[in-house]
Amino acid sequence: MSKRVFVHPEPKAGEPAPWRSLEERNKSPEFRSRAEREFLDGAATFDPVDRRAFLSLMGASFALAGLGLAGCREPRQHTLPYARTPEMTLPGVPTFFATSFPGELANQPILVETHSRRPTKVEGNPSHPASGTASSKLAQASILDLYDPDRATVSVGPDGAALTSAQVRDRLAALGRELEAAGGAGLAFLARPSTSPTRARLVAAIKARFPKALWAEHTPVDQSAGDRAVGPGIRALPNFAAAKRVVSLDADFLGSGDAQVEATRAYAAARRADTAEQAKGMVRLYVAESLHTLTGAAADHRLPLATSAIPALALHLLDQVRRQLGQASVGELPKLDVDPAWVRECAADLVANRGASLVVAGAHLPAAAHGCVQAINDLLEAVGRTLEYVRTDAAPAASLRDLALARPSALVILGGNPAYDAPADAGLADVLAAAKTIVRVGLHGAEHDDTTAAVRARGGLFVASTHYLESWSDGRALDGTYVPVQPMIAPLYDGVAETEVLALLAGQSADALGLVRATFESVARAVGRDASAAAFEAWLAEGVLPGTAFPRALAGTVSTPVAPAAPALSRASLEVRLVPSAHAGDGLFGNNAWLLEQPDPMSKTCWENVVLVSPALAKELEIEPEPMVINRIGQLNRNINQLVDGKLTCRVVRVTLGGRTVEGPAFILPGLAKWTVGLQLGFGRKAVGRAGARVTERLSENRIVGVGFDAYPLATSAAPLGAAGATLELTGETVVVANTQDHWSMEGRDLIREGTPGEFAKNPTFAARLGLDGHLPSPLGTGKDAATPLAVAAVTTPRGNSAYEHPDHAVPPNVAVWQGRADAPVPQQWGMSIDLNTCTGCNACVTACQAENNIPVVGRSQVLKGRDMRWIRLDRYFFDGREQAGMDIPENPQVTFLGVACQHCENAPCESVCPANATVHDEEGLNTMAYNRCIGTRYCANNCPYKVRRFNYLDYNDRQIGRFYEGPLGPKGMAEPLKMQKNPDVSVRMRGVMEKCTYCVQRIQEAKIQAKVRAGASGDTKVRDGAVQVACQQACPAGAIEFGDITDAGSRVAKAKASPRTYGLLTYLNVRPRTTYQAKLRNPNPRMPGASAAPLSRLELAGREGVHPAPAHGGKGH
Amino acid sequence: MLRRLLDFLNQPARRGNPFPRWSNAAPAKILAFLALSGALLVAAINHYATNEYLNVGYTPDQPVAFDHGFHSGVLGLDCRYCHTNVEKSPHSNVPSTATCMNCHSVVKKDSPALQPIRDSFATGEPVRWVKVHKVPDYVYFPHSVHVSRGISCVECHGRVDQMEVVGQRKSLSMSFCLDCHRNPEKALRPVDKVTDLAWKAPSPEAQREMGSKFVHDWKVLPPQSCSGCHR
Repeated sequence: MSKRVFVHPEPKAGEPAPWRSLEERNKSPEFRSRAEREFLDGAATFDPVDRRAFLSLMGASFALAGLGLAGCREPRQHTLPYARTPEMTLPGVPTFFATSFPGELANQPILVETHSRRPTKVEGNPSHPASGTASSKLAQASILDLYDPDRATVSVGPDGAALTSAQVRDRLAALGRELEAAGGAGLAFLARPSTSPTRARLVAAIKARFPKALWAEHTPVDQSAGDRAVGPGIRALPNFAAAKRVVSLDADFLGSGDAQVEATRAYAAARRADTAEQAKGMVRLYVAESLHTLTGAAADHRLPLATSAIPALALHLLDQVRRQLGQASVGELPKLDVDPAWVRECAADLVANRGASLVVAGAHLPAAAHGCVQAINDLLEAVGRTLEYVRTDAAPAASLRDLALARPSALVILGGNPAYDAPADAGLADVLAAAKTIVRVGLHGAEHDDTTAAVRARGGLFVASTHYLESWSDGRALDGTYVPVQPMIAPLYDGVAETEVLALLAGQSADALGLVRATFESVARAVGRDASAAAFEAWLAEGVLPGTAFPRALAGTVSTPVAPAAPALSRASLEVRLVPSAHAGDGLFGNNAWLLEQPDPMSKTCWENVVLVSPALAKELEIEPEPMVINRIGQLNRNINQLVDGKLTCRVVRVTLGGRTVEGPAFILPGLAKWTVGLQLGFGRKAVGRAGARVTERLSENRIVGVGFDAYPLATSAAPLGAAGATLELTGETVVVANTQDHWSMEGRDLIREGTPGEFAKNPTFAARLGLDGHLPSPLGTGKDAATPLAVAAVTTPRGNSAYEHPDHAVPPNVAVWQGRADAPVPQQWGMSIDLNTCTGCNACVTACQAENNIPVVGRSQVLKGRDMRWIRLDRYFFDGREQAGMDIPENPQVTFLGVACQHCENAPCESVCPANATVHDEEGLNTMAYNRCIGTRYCANNCPYKVRRFNYLDYNDRQIGRFYEGPLGPKGMAEPLKMQKNPDVSVRMRGVMEKCTYCVQRIQEAKIQAKVRAGASGDTKVRDGAVQVACQQACPAGAIEFGDITDAGSRVAKAKASPRTYGLLTYLNVRPRTTYQAKLRNPNPRMPGASAAPLSRLELAGREGVHPAPAHGGKGH
Repeated sequence: MLRRLLDFLNQPARRGNPFPRWSNAAPAKILAFLALSGALLVAAINHYATNEYLNVGYTPDQPVAFDHGFHSGVLGLDCRYCHTNVEKSPHSNVPSTATCMNCHSVVKKDSPALQPIRDSFATGEPVRWVKVHKVPDYVYFPHSVHVSRGISCVECHGRVDQMEVVGQRKSLSMSFCLDCHRNPEKALRPVDKVTDLAWKAPSPEAQREMGSKFVHDWKVLPPQSCSGCHR
């Protein structure tokens, strides 16, 4: 019998395949040439210097090396113990502090890992069950802001002189006394919304001391606007976990906002499909949205619809629900350009699941839409089941408009960045010009903050404030649970906390701890709990005060729901939507390099923002000469996003709304409503730190500079988040955009396996039998190997692929005593399972991995060269189905996220090609990477079928962004404060070294050490299930990642891997990956218009040569 | 040889074989010379460029001439009186100044040699002790798991209780680590003898027997893959 050889099934021209970019979809020559190279053009060349310059550099280094020979011995190092060791400090052992990440709607309860009091990593606080160990990417990344090298180190007086914090305190106290006489006439405050009860108390004290003072709050993206439409002080708390049908009207509850972690966790719970029974009852998500968000990507039925038409859709939906419940119609309905069957069937599904269905609406929608949604939820009997209304403690505050009318003579600006993010017509510039005394409290000085710059230009006082990890405060979680904000490091610089500023102005002592303590006592007493000092300590240790959730409330009844008719949109009258960017949020994270370099989950653009346009709109743009590509069925297609020299090149467009214009690169995002243009906020700040600033890399020829454009000019007080009536035209320019969607391309292999609950019930192991896998022995204990349990397969399959000797579990451990003994301890075997059904693509894992594993930031021009370093590549795939294959660009494709990190193959192809034996298997099944042995041949990366290995082309850790190329005499060392963030348990890699996911080996080793120390003479050295949580698993809000010992049948990971939906990537290569995936299930409603019986990915797969749909006989493949 | 070579080159052309008789042996001699110098070079690098030569014996002067031999050997202080965290933390901490002052606020409280200690205690500034035992930054050595599972301080640090000035006695190279990780039974001892640096098994056979039983009963399986120490 001849040996069967399996090769990657190549999709033929004209056949559908998953695609990440339009170029990939159309298989353009540029894409092909790019994909054929392992490393991007320029990635593997040292471009900024020619040979001559290189030789002179080398000469200099040799000369230096000669000098260096004088010191052959290691440099003398010192050990600096504490003079007196602080309590709870064990050098080398991390201490965790419970605190919370302040938000505007809700604080996120978190634990912060500190090493000798240096905060290094944020984790979720499991004491708060609604979020558990999960945390958002913003909370994860906020730790970098603490160590921002551009933070202000001193306060600055009106005369420009540096002030100590003591001097600032004196001045603030004096200012308070000065203003007290007039009752605070002419005094105004401008702050961001906050959940802190202590701040609310201080605001009340200030209002008591200065009865005439004005307290205004401003945020560019108001998350509570929707709740205010329901009723003052009311908050709607959706309970997605109890829902079977959810309709989201332009609400990106899975992708943004302070409630994202809780919402994702609850949604994932409703989406779990461990058994066919559970799959049948899983939640079905309908989304109507104008942009393409993560929520839309998760939808089972997605309707691209302009935001201005959403209120009309809400009213139509309400009308349908009422009529199907036998009630009277709402009367005359506004015109709506949506298939009536969509609304009818959606309503029918909601009504059929009355009591388990829920409708949510985006906070930016007008009150009319919220009224309709409230009425629908009432009819669906959602309240008390899938929805709660609670009464918050939010105090009313004045608006920016009130501030402009008041024309204060003394203004205190706390946090935020209003000079940047306030609408131009709000008159803040006039307010600043009119005020005689201005106090600005912020983290950044005049060079790095727009508002501080504006205030200092008018001779205001700048107070350097402290980061939340350095200050005392408090807050409320989404459900109202009272949570602390406590310092775990002494302020890095001489700053004053916001709480202290308010206390001083209120005439109280600036004792932030005392203030929080007092608030705690009142909060605890109000709910009848112990308010003693011991209870306070317990609250700080636990991080939550149980029983302090907001009380339930009744929302008022909706009188007569109405909805305005949607404005007619066209090429000449577009709708603009302003949304916080995935990178900088609304601008407050504008100097956070982790977030800036992290690709936007949908557009995959990093380091800048883009103008999102729909394919239909792109088609209408008149471009000369027309860039055309031939699509897979031979038609010419217009494409305005092109790969040029491997880099995404976009046309610059000018968006005009109400006479105000903004220019930026246009990016086609399939799935947008036809006439909606999406602009991402947070970029283009005039004053920002080094990460967000326009950086040109010296010596580099790259002419493209800049991090994004400012979209705020399109905001107005009346329509802060966009409006209809905009026009868009090409400027004729093109720019290169740092986009990673084509990086590490998998070239259309069938990586995505999707099914439906119905198919899952009929053929549970459909995923493992698709493609070539149906022909092969299964990697780990399924299919033909079903008789071999996972626990056995994991320790008996041949492993390791090194050219050298490698540990093999078939041989007893290399310890003399154990040689030939049957009772030798068996090493545990680590593995991972990722549930694609619950993954929403939120990027929390990517950020957590970056923080935990000291992954460097490389900068925009390095990303353009394809040298991004993140270990987890969160791929976003589009499927458009066969029926749409002939269309130009599909308007509403299905989206699937696939997070790929090192798969820890048993037969790792990287190992066989390493000439230095730097990457080998260990006895626990990890594909290890010994950095100190790596010589940088990059053969391993060439041979990795998953493309997950990352190479340090330059000294990303030891040089600062923009100074990578400055030769041996260039400045070295990372910015001083950033060193403090590094995880001391993970090596900081140097230039010329390959790296990749290690399965957080430092956490595994730590757990093993603890298990061994604990075991003593008992010999029970096994690590318990759950004792090792890898960083991505811990952060994942959806709980999609399981990790642990796969030989322990009772472990969570073994149970997850035992799921019939389990399949591996590229298993036909017989690499036997340790990471497996659980196939995604789509839950379509067959009665909906446009519903496809199978996921589009399946239809595509079915058409591929050599790839068969699930065999009907369900048995052994064929 | 050079002279003969010059003579050879200067002489007029000869008929027949142009090479003199001595040239027959020249290639072999050259090869032997190269092989010998190569071997010498390798041997020299092997010795002089290794931890064995570079690090063993490194005995820096400390800001305070703390005599381990006296405190530990003569007075009999347990290692863990000062190195308190060795069983709990990967780091075996150098004691804080406050630990010194526990005794020296009473004993020898005016000694000029202890001035840096008193200064540190008064100002809170740390004493700048010089680090003696170092492993590279990419090596993670956890003290806790070693001392709590029968590996004595003496295995890596030598007889500190006999050192007036502490110096490095073992190479702490990777092969030094691996020797023990492959043959733990040669080094293991009862856990209550871990800080008793003078303890020795009565005989090598007794050590092997005791060590093997320890390995078996405690399920000792030291890691030998990269991931054990390099993260």
